[in-house]
Order: sequence, then C-alpha cells, then structure tokens
Amino acid sequence: MVERSLKYLDERLGTASLARKTLRKVFPDHWSFLLGEIALFALVVLIFTGTFLTFFYTPSVQEVVYNGSYKPLQGAEVSAAYNSVLRLSFEVRAGLLMRQTHHWAALVFVAAIVVHLCRIFFTGAFRRPREVNWLVGIGLLFLALGEGFTGYSLPDDLLSGIGLRIFYSVTLAIPVIGTWVTYLLFGGEFPAPDIISRLFVFHIMLIPALLLALVGVHLAILVLQKHTLFPAHGHTERNVVGKRLWPEQTFKSVSLLLFTTAVLALLGGLAQINPVWQYGPFVAYNVTSPAQPDWYIGFLDGALRLGPPWDLTLWGFTISEVFWPAVLFPGIAFGILTLWPWIERRFTKDRAEHHLLDRPRDTPVRTGIGAAGLMVFFIMFMEGGNDIFGVLLNVSVETVTRILQWSLLIAPIVTFLVTYWICTGLSRTRLRPAQINAGVRLSRSPDGGYETVPLEPAGVDGDRTPATAGPHGE
Amino acid sequence: MTDSDQGSERVDVDRQTDRELTGSQRRAERRAGIALAVAIVAGIGLFVVYFAGGQTQVEGVLFAIAFGGLGVALGIWANHLLDAREVVEERHELTSGPEGREALEMALTEEIGPVIGRRSMLLKLLAGAGGALGLALLLPVLSLGPAPGDSLKVTPWRRGSRVVDEEGEPVELNQVPEDGFLTVFPEGHAGAADAQTLLIHVRQGSLKLPPDRMAGVPDGTHVAYSKICTHAGCPVGLYRAESQSLICPCHQSQFDVSDGAKPFFGPAARPLPQLLLGVDDENVLVAQGDFTEPVGPAFWDRGR
Amino acid sequence: MRRTAILLGGVAVLALLLTPATGAATAPGAARAVAARQPDSPALDARGRELYQNACASCHGPDPSGPSYYPLVPSLKDVGGAAAVDWALRTGRMPWKDNKGPAIARGEPRFNEEDTRALVVYIGKAVSDAQVPDVDPTRGNLQRGRELYSQACAACHGMNGAGAALGGQNIAVSLQDIKPVDVAEAIKIGPGQMPVGGGLADYEYGTAHSRQEVDDIAAYVESLRTTPYNEGGAPIGGKGPVPEGFVAWVIGLGILIVAARWIAGRG
Repeated sequence: MVERSLKYLDERLGTASLARKTLRKVFPDHWSFLLGEIALFALVVLIFTGTFLTFFYTPSVQEVVYNGSYKPLQGAEVSAAYNSVLRLSFEVRAGLLMRQTHHWAALVFVAAIVVHLCRIFFTGAFRRPREVNWLVGIGLLFLALGEGFTGYSLPDDLLSGIGLRIFYSVTLAIPVIGTWVTYLLFGGEFPAPDIISRLFVFHIMLIPALLLALVGVHLAILVLQKHTLFPAHGHTERNVVGKRLWPEQTFKSVSLLLFTTAVLALLGGLAQINPVWQYGPFVAYNVTSPAQPDWYIGFLDGALRLGPPWDLTLWGFTISEVFWPAVLFPGIAFGILTLWPWIERRFTKDRAEHHLLDRPRDTPVRTGIGAAGLMVFFIMFMEGGNDIFGVLLNVSVETVTRILQWSLLIAPIVTFLVTYWICTGLSRTRLRPAQINAGVRLSRSPDGGYETVPLEPAGVDGDRTPATAGPHGE
Repeated sequence: MTDSDQGSERVDVDRQTDRELTGSQRRAERRAGIALAVAIVAGIGLFVVYFAGGQTQVEGVLFAIAFGGLGVALGIWANHLLDAREVVEERHELTSGPEGREALEMALTEEIGPVIGRRSMLLKLLAGAGGALGLALLLPVLSLGPAPGDSLKVTPWRRGSRVVDEEGEPVELNQVPEDGFLTVFPEGHAGAADAQTLLIHVRQGSLKLPPDRMAGVPDGTHVAYSKICTHAGCPVGLYRAESQSLICPCHQSQFDVSDGAKPFFGPAARPLPQLLLGVDDENVLVAQGDFTEPVGPAFWDRGR
Repeated sequence: MRRTAILLGGVAVLALLLTPATGAATAPGAARAVAARQPDSPALDARGRELYQNACASCHGPDPSGPSYYPLVPSLKDVGGAAAVDWALRTGRMPWKDNKGPAIARGEPRFNEEDTRALVVYIGKAVSDAQVPDVDPTRGNLQRGRELYSQACAACHGMNGAGAALGGQNIAVSLQDIKPVDVAEAIKIGPGQMPVGGGLADYEYGTAHSRQEVDDIAAYVESLRTTPYNEGGAPIGGKGPVPEGFVAWVIGLGILIVAARWIAGRG
C-alpha cells in the first residue's frame, strides 16, 4: 500500500527522483555539527507546546476576579491574561507540564543557538561562501531573543511586568525619536495596557513566521552549499565526507530530536520555572526581589547594572545614562558580530572559498577575539545576578559590581592574550600536528631506485575509505 | 530476521541482505529492544497518570523516559545496526559563472522595451509614486500610539492634592511610625503609575536639605520622593531604615534619603524628585504642587 | 567511562539544585515564643538579671535602659523592647557571635526557652516595654495577607519569601521557614534595616486594626512554609531566572551535548 501511495505522488509531483537525490546527500559526522540541530529541535518543541498554550491564553488586561485553586489570590482582581495562565497551570491537566516545557525549551533554544554560533565562529565556517547564512543565523538569534522576551512577558505577572518597564525606559532612551518610538510601540504612557495584546501578536504570529522562514532559508543554503568539514585525511576543499542523509543521518537526527524532547520534558516536569502565581499579578507600583530577566536578556540587565551613571544634557536635550549600556553597547557588540565575516576579511585579505574548517588553535587571533568577546558577555551575565551571587558568596552587591567593572576593563584583554598563547602552544605540539597530509607511499622502481608517491585523498562516490582517517580537529 | 539451521548452530540472519548479525550487533539489537520496551511502558504509564488525574512531575519523567527510550534505540540503531558507510561526495561549483549571469541579464533585459533604457520622465515619476505610496503605507503605524506631548512631564499631583495610601485612605501626619515608610498617591488617583510616591518618616534632624526643600517636609520628618527610579523606571520599594537609604532591586541604584535622594551607588544618575508636602487643617498630608521635574528615567526632551 | 562520569556529574548537579538553596539556616527546635499573657515571677526577673549580667552587659551596659559600652551597639531601650529581645534570642542572633559584616545572621539560639523568657521579662521591665506580640495566623485572612505582603514586604523579601540582597551586605532574610511570632515581632521592632511597621499604612502596636493586619500577613508567610505551591517541581532556590538559566545551560544543554556526542559516535 505504501508503494501505491508513493507511486501516486510520484506520478503527479515527480517526488521519487527528488527524494532519491536528497536522501543520498552526504553530511559529515562530527558531534559539533549537531549543535544547530539541538536548537532546531528545541524550536520544534516550542512550536508544539506553544500551540497548546495558545488555546488557553487570553491576551487581555481586562480585570477579572480570580477564583482558581491558588488560595492566596482567591477573590483578587487580576488581568484576564494572568488569570488564564494560572488556570492553565493549576486547572488544566498537563497544562503546567506544557507551560514549563515551553519555557525550558525557550531557554535551551537560545543557549543552543549561542553554542552553535560559537562553533561557527571559532571554526571559521562563516567565511565565503557562507556569509549570507551567517547573516541569516544572526537574524535567527535576534528573533529568538525577541520571541523569548515577548513570551515571558505575556503572563502579565509582577516580575515580567518590571522587565517591561525597563524595556520601556530603554526605548525612551533612544535619542531624538525615543519617546515617539516608545509611544507607538506601547500605545502610550506606562503601564500601557495595549502592550500585552501587542506582544501576543509578535509572539504567536509575526516572529514565528519570520523564524520559520529564516530557518527554511538557513537549511536550504546549508543543503545547497553542502556542509563544511574539519581537516582530516581524505577531506579536501572539493569534497564532502560523511554519511548519507538516509539512513544514518536521519536516524541520528531523529534520535537527537527525541533526546531534546526528553530532556525538555524532564525539566518541564521536575524543575519549576517562572512560578507566576508566586510572583503575583503585575501592579505598577509594586516590586519584588530579586528581579532579573530570563538568562538570554541577562547580559542587558548586567550591562545596565554596570553602566556608568553619566547622563548628558545639552540645550535641554538629554541622553539618558541608560543609553550607553542598553542602546550603544548592544548596538556596537551585535554590529561587530553581524559584520564579522567582512571585518575579518579586511584583515586577512582572504577572499577564497573555504569548505574546510579551521581548528580554533590554528587561528589564534580570531579565537582570542572570540574568547574575549565571550568574556565580555560573561561578565555582564554575572553582573546581572550580582545580588544573588553576593548572597551566595557572602560579599556585598557593591563589591561584586566593583570587581566586575574592573574585570570588564581588564579581563577581555587578558582573555585574548591567554587564549592566543594557548592556541599557539597547542598548534606546535606533536600530538596534534598543524599539518594534515594524506601521507606518502614508497615505491621501488624496477632498476632499484626508491621514490615517494604522495597519496591522493580517497576517492569516488561509493568507495569505502579507510576506517582510520587520522586525527580530526576538535 | 529468521532462524536458519546450520547444523547445531543457531544463527540470526538478516533477511534483506542475507548476512549474519555480528555479536556486537546482536548486543546492540538487544539494547535497542530494551530501550524501546521501556519507552512502551512509559507511554502506557502516561495514559494511566493522565486519566488518574495527572501529576506534573510524574508526567514529565514519563515523557522523558518514553522519548528518551526511543532516542536511545534510534541512536543505537544508527551507530551499530546500519550498514552505513562513510561516503565521499564531490562538491559542485557554486557559481553560475559569467555565462550564467549573462544569460540572466539577457532574460531580464531582452524584452524590456525602450523606456527603461533611457532616463525617461516616466521612470522618474514611477520612482516618485513608489516613494509617496511607500511612505503613505507607513501612515497606519502612526495610529499605534498617541503623541507623547508632555505626558511624560506631568503627573496627577496638584497643589492641595491630599495624600492617600494605595487603597485611597488619607494619610495623616505621624500616621506612619518613625523609621517607617509608605507608598502614597494623590487623592482620586490611587494606584496611578506615574504618581507613585514614597512617604518616609525619617528621624528628627537627620535631613540635610536646603531650606526651600525643607519647607516641603512637614515636621521636618515627613519627606516624600517619587518612587519611580530615575534609572530605568522600576519602583524603588526597598527602604533601609537604619541607613535611611533606598535601593532599587532592578539594577542596585542606591539613593540617600537624608540627602535629597541623591544616588550614591549604582547606575542612576539623577536623584529621585522630591514631592513637597504640607499639612491641611485635618492633619492630613497634602501636596504643595506637582513634582518640580519629570519623574522616572530620562528621555530626549526631558529638559525642555 | 568518561561519558558515564559526565552523566553522573550531571545527575549530581541536578540533585544539588533540587535541594532548596539555603539562605541563613533557621535554628531547629528554637525556643517557642511565649505569649505575653504568661505570668512572670520575681524569680524569673532575678534569673533574667543574672543572665543579662553574664551574657549581655559586656556590650549593652550594666543597665538595659542605660547606654551601651560601644557606639555601634544600640542601647536596649531603643530597639523595640521585650519583642526585640525575644526575637533576637530565639533566632540566635544574640548574643552576638563573631561575624563579618553588619548583617547579623540567624543561628542556633544560645538560651533555652526558660532562660529566654527570663531575659525577656527582665529587660522588658527594665526598658518599660514588656509586650511580646500575640499573633495567630489562623485568625488572619490569607488573601488580605497576600495583598498587604505585596505592598509592604515583597520589595525586600520577595513575593515568595525567598529573600534578597539589600546592598552593603545587608540581607532581607528568607521567610520561607519562620514562625508567625517572628513576623509579628519584626514588624513591631523593625530590626536592622527593616522599617518599623514593616511598610504598613498605619501600623500602631496594640490596636486591633494592626493586630488583624499582622495576623493576615502572618497567615500568608505561614502559607509560604506550609503550602508553598511548588507544583512545578523543584523550586531551585526560588530566586527566579538566574538559577533557572544556570539549570538550562548546565543540565539542559549539558545533557544534550553529551547526547549529541553519543549520537555522533566516533564521527
């Protein structure tokens, strides 16, 4: 029966030859090439759980009286949005599991994107011809950040409401057009009630549409250009060595999808996340401690905590102190990140096509800069939790902040130098020699002379290449 | 898989390729089978738990086991039970080459006609129309929100506004105990976000304010500041009574209440605006007017 | 072998994070607060004086109502009377142990129930403030208590009572495992950086209105201990997105990277 259905489709759509071509495509096998897939599968979980949540969420700030099973709030007036999230968490069977899995998936989604981005960066996979895909990937990162922020603000609870207030102030801090942009985005003065339903539109429609479109482009470009390879015996700039999409890579990818779902469901059931009933509904003059955003916005929170208290006023026009850490710094940092392929090319003058990856140790400058950049973000993340770390380590908040402020000036340079030194050191060791060659064969001529014949990297489609392929890159 | 008798030995034979499973493959098959069996049990368990009323932790664990079991099985299958070989595939040229690009250009321009070639009036008008229409299409965006006007620079506080708590009850002098504090609003606007104000009963003689500002502190002890942090707008709800200072939980800006709520640590650049108070003849606290500067975080035209 | 070690390590981290993060440890089996209604005898007063001279006078001065010996040590007439003594002794904050920083942390109480009572009676009489609050969370309204808590307490102690840093090594302690009488006493005395009256609108000790409000808040705080509503699973310290992010990276992504390495095989 299966055969008959396939015949049916093939007669109308020509699926058989397209499928055969696609399924025979070769993809290399390194574990670090699966990091992007972790992100993709987290997105799949997000879409499934998110669709479920959409059936229960009410994007409205209209006041209703709560009478669910969370006793401390019974009889209290809360927004319909908040009420719907509490109902989902307590009254809907499997509701809390779906909600928590969704939120854990969001955290892991962005984490996987970041780790995948690091792999791309440190192995130079963004070089020609993959600059466009780098841009698509950066776009996906921004969309993921926006999707996460809009998502956790939907329950209209006290903690996310505080975050919205900060976001409001950050957009206010944009010079010249700040107040206009803010009023258009939010619909007026804070707490602008329209914002919840607008965030809903972004979160379930606009951003997911862009996300899916860009993911499609991201994968299409990858298939078109074929995947990159670590340098190894038999790997050249002109080939791809690996396993076919069917059966091996399909089995592996599906396995990873199942593992991703399993881990997220495990967290969703066992580890409480964003217990909005405990925070209570958003009230514009209330606040709770500690107050942090989800981790992927944490670097902005940390930047704001570090930020120097300098506001600038000229002729009555003010540049808020929020501008430097929350508008200028991310603008510059993400600008450098986005334009990196071209920035690097300016200095390396390398315009060649690259399908073989760099081992990070072989490009100590890039690796050093990348490590320094990660250190900057890491410092910001730590500062974002400065009150929590202070309590944990028994030091004052001020001490943590001062240490991290100095670290911001010193640590990136030190990180660069140390990383550079480690890379050059590793490159030189015999254990993992910098040069990979295919080896030579001695051959003896009939009249007694010996000659060395360099071996070609292994061959044609379908050949069995030797199992020992030599040292791979990390 | 069928058993085939080969003398006294029992051998597993792969029906498709008619090859034997090796020992390690047999072990792998067994492991995968166990993983799948566990997944089945977990799946059945999910039915039981759900119809018994559901329980978040158990459901999460069972889903994890079910998905995980399947994942393990497929992973084992992929790594041990497939005949997959490492394959080498040639890369094709990515570029279409100059001929390809030329062909595209031909396709685009062949039948385009005379108008496009020259810098005709028509093209300029087309560009103009496109621009005008494009901009006009953006007009509905302006309907998304009101003009800011001076709404960021005023609050509902007025001269004579009685001070009330968040439930609308008037606040009298000395109602808040010494070393205590309270969130207050103008009467009629209890709960208004931009009007939120901290009323703090400080210790006698502890304030270091200039005379014109001390005139707005009834009894020399009841001082009021805007509760909206001048850094990024969070309510500054943490009052430290012993040191008479406020700390904002969002980014740890700290304000000295005795010294006009000036920031002495953290990213805030400006003090919290003071609300000058008086007392009416019923001993209720009243405001002497609105805040003398815009409350909350800075914005471009704050100073105009 | 290495993979197993990594997996076990991950499980250990998971186990670690599933145990609630400790704030200051509450003293187990601390002396129960005694209601102000119990009769006090001259014997109790004498015992209190004796204990005071041995354990407290070296810092607080020979007379509780007089000045202390050191400028940083408050006189006991200024701290909130008998309620303050009861609170400080029961929660082990006093006698002052060697401590770094201005935050005086909870600990094991030094005195048993009788001796605590004796000191409370003696000092309370000496400073003319012998009242120890009478609080009953069962008389309180849970919903009203939550509302009052969100107005007055949540900013420092967190809506879920997990506690927070207040700058300068000051800490608003966790309220997830304290007694109702701790709540009542703290609101009355405003210990350390905590405001007197706890941020309530019209707190006046002794009035029926304030007693009801304290009962309400105590009911809510008690509920944080008895029914914290951690339906979602392990609260991971209850400190919000920072520990959650840590778990997402270390456990979530960590396990998945291990899984990816296993799936990719020797590739």
